[in-house]
Amino acid sequence: MNYSIVRSLILKDWYFQRRAILLALAGGALSLGIVVYGGKPGFTIGLILLVTILVMISAITVMGNVLGERENQTLAFTMSLPISYLEYTTSKIVGNLLIFVPFWLTILAGSVALILAAPVIHGFFAFTIIMAVEILVSTCLMVGVALITESKGWAISAMVVGNVALNVVGYLVAHIPSITNGLYGTAIYWNSTATILLAIEFALIALLLGGTFFIQSRKKDFL
Amino acid sequence: MSDLSVQFEGVSKKYPHFALENIDLELPAGSIMGFIGANGAGKSTTIRILMGLVHQDAGSVRVLGHSMPDDQAAAKLDIGFVSEDMRLYGAATLAWHMDFLRPIYPRWDQKYAEELARRFDLKPQQKIKGLSHGQRVKAALLLALARRPRLLVLDEPTTGLDPVARMEVLGELMAVLADEDRTILFSSHNTLDVEQISDQITFIDRGRIIDSDNKEAFLDRWRRLRLVLPPDGAVPRLPGVVEVAGSSRLPVLTTNRFEPAMVSACNDLGATVQAVDTMTLEEIFVANVHSRRERLTA
Repeated sequence: MNYSIVRSLILKDWYFQRRAILLALAGGALSLGIVVYGGKPGFTIGLILLVTILVMISAITVMGNVLGERENQTLAFTMSLPISYLEYTTSKIVGNLLIFVPFWLTILAGSVALILAAPVIHGFFAFTIIMAVEILVSTCLMVGVALITESKGWAISAMVVGNVALNVVGYLVAHIPSITNGLYGTAIYWNSTATILLAIEFALIALLLGGTFFIQSRKKDFL
Repeated sequence: MSDLSVQFEGVSKKYPHFALENIDLELPAGSIMGFIGANGAGKSTTIRILMGLVHQDAGSVRVLGHSMPDDQAAAKLDIGFVSEDMRLYGAATLAWHMDFLRPIYPRWDQKYAEELARRFDLKPQQKIKGLSHGQRVKAALLLALARRPRLLVLDEPTTGLDPVARMEVLGELMAVLADEDRTILFSSHNTLDVEQISDQITFIDRGRIIDSDNKEAFLDRWRRLRLVLPPDGAVPRLPGVVEVAGSSRLPVLTTNRFEPAMVSACNDLGATVQAVDTMTLEEIFVANVHSRRERLTA
């Protein structure tokens, strides 16, 4: 693996997404401000805004960095560089996740901090972590599908599936007694069920990313 | 060490509505090959296989000593590639593209890139989306040439250009190519473009290589013989005749194995040779394609 060229490709993609990244940063900061200083309604509105920005930034970067290459006919230029499928795939996955993950971590850290700061919602800790990782699963699904299919239609479908899955998982997790018992308590709640759910989510992420590399390695046509 | 820059052996690639079949192709180092075919003949597929961007179903491909597609990253380090359907990043400047490529290619020649920008009348600070189509082709050529590639692959670079821009691009390309020895594969459906810069010619039609030779040999061995036959005279059986046109008294024979002795042979057989016409590469290409298609349908 030529890490130097992977780095060049990632920096290239970031350069072309710099406006979206800056906009998302500004939106993220504003939303966090609303969460912190907006009182009870601000907490809900701010969190919704943050999740919206998360979904938006992952969609914009995938559309621009992955699907845009084919749509704008720059894929031939990129693929004519001294790279293999492995370096191309790595640069796209790592590049997109490196844009997404800092936002995701900031929001996760902000949410956890708020839960811990509030007096009676410490029980939301496990639920929040599980749902946050589910958002990461959805993003990996969209990146993988976009890379493999190079199709806007499929990528949008993956995004819809990811969002539906987020709601379904949220509903199901919210109905697991061992997770939801004591949501509005003063103690941080973590048990084996939460660990299993988190392990399943990380296994899904590994499966999605590994599957993407595997399918890309078997691809016969890159143009 | 092989002195072949490109070597295809029995390469095949099947699509639902098109197949590249049993392609054998050799491009010696230092030569310039014109790769001619009609639209949809298989030029771009062949070139994509050469670049490792499309994987062949069967056969072997070696480019600059590297097995493709497995060693494509190493091979592409020494290849400059410009394709008709390749676009640069519209939102970036030419200077940005140069800065992007410089650390990737160890032999990147910044001075040469700047000299080419002047020669091509390109402004490095101008965004690609603000360039005309001709300027974009020149920008892509600049970026390919400044890598100092051992192999330059040009896939229909002049397609879509207006006549003025086409002549400009070709003129600049020829001037640049005169600078030093390079191995070049230049594909086009425009034989005039290819004829100007190539020393080797390969014709491809419907996914098969139909002829390949050096340009002079092509031009030497293809001729049209305009004959006058005596009443009830038969058309003489000459070697390499691929097409008989004209009327029964005044046939026009197209041969791909012309030799001066054919004229006296015709006279001996009772036919008078009115004229021996040389053929342009376009005429040779068209006659070649027609004769092959007729053989296939016969």
